[in-house]
Amino acid sequence: MEQAEQQAFLALIEQNKGIIFKICNSYCKDRADREDLAQEIIYQLWKSGNRFNTDYKFTTWMYRVALNTAISHYRKEKKTAELISIDDHPLEIEDSVDTGHETQVQIAQLNQFIDQLKELDKALLLLYLEEKSHAEIAEIIGISVSNVSTRINRIKTTLKQNFSAINK
Amino acid sequence: MEDMELKNVWKSYENQLEQARILNLQSWVLNLETKQSVQLMKAKTKLNRLARLKSWMVVAGIAWIAALLFLILNSLEWKKLFFVLSLSMIVLFTIVAVVVYIYHVRLIRSIDNSESIVEAQEKTAKLQSSSLQVVRILFLQMPFYTTWFYTWNQVTEPDPRFWLISFPITLFFVYLSLWLYRNINYKNINKRWFRFLFNGPEWTPIMKAMSFMQEIEEFKKNV
Repeated sequence: MEQAEQQAFLALIEQNKGIIFKICNSYCKDRADREDLAQEIIYQLWKSGNRFNTDYKFTTWMYRVALNTAISHYRKEKKTAELISIDDHPLEIEDSVDTGHETQVQIAQLNQFIDQLKELDKALLLLYLEEKSHAEIAEIIGISVSNVSTRINRIKTTLKQNFSAINK
Repeated sequence: MEDMELKNVWKSYENQLEQARILNLQSWVLNLETKQSVQLMKAKTKLNRLARLKSWMVVAGIAWIAALLFLILNSLEWKKLFFVLSLSMIVLFTIVAVVVYIYHVRLIRSIDNSESIVEAQEKTAKLQSSSLQVVRILFLQMPFYTTWFYTWNQVTEPDPRFWLISFPITLFFVYLSLWLYRNINYKNINKRWFRFLFNGPEWTPIMKAMSFMQEIEEFKKNV
């Protein structure tokens, strides 16, 4: 990778780290596991860079790589320690800063709900919360737009019920 | 919680995460660059291991076919007709299994993370459960293990031992192998006979992959 390309890649990761962290937090409970996944996603993005198809939007491609890596990572029985241990140079991610108490509670409740979803529903909800259009979600996930709408509505209804039950 | 409120919570979460910094991103990427070949190899280890295993199965399958062909070519006599026919059928099914393994190796090479989630995950789950696909093909050769010792005399003459024991056993295996071939698929994963047949730690990841395939199928359906 040329130095200019490398800088561009670094900038890209910096710009999109929020998405990467959110995906990692949704698919891994354990902090060390989350860092492993973040590394794996960044590695996959770096590795798949040359396969980026200009027919797609950049974010569509990025979400596909990140979510596919997260789902495969989640489904592995063993953690991807191999990738990290040979490195001796793990990625160090600083703890995020706490926001207000009430927001913190709501974020925790939302994460708890996301955690209970199946892998594919989780990907759907994440993309919905990222304010992606139904057409873009359909393209990333690989199902029809009408299927996306129905499934999102169903997840939202359950989510609302869960929140009302907790906050009663 | 309404849509807007939900998205606001998500935004606060995003802001919170935005403040988290990757402390050593630059040096980590540099490190990645210098160890590219090692990393590339290691990151793909799991699939590579599967590809290696399947490549070995192809080699073993070819060796088995060669051994059987040797036996066939050395038994080309009228009185060994059933032996030759049975072995030929076994060779045929082994060839099919080898071709399926070669297809799997190609499938491993074609996995691309930038495909749609359903497409990429379906390929991965299909690969993980592929051993079962080969098992069901190999079950089809079962009846021929009960016919290789038949003789022409047994078939043409009214030998009660043959017509009352050997032949019904073969028929039973024909039925059983066809039934297993039709029914070994992820739709039956929760059936008791299926769990009984594929019970053991070596089948656990395959069963998990199959139930994920079932989940993907459900997910793809327009609800």
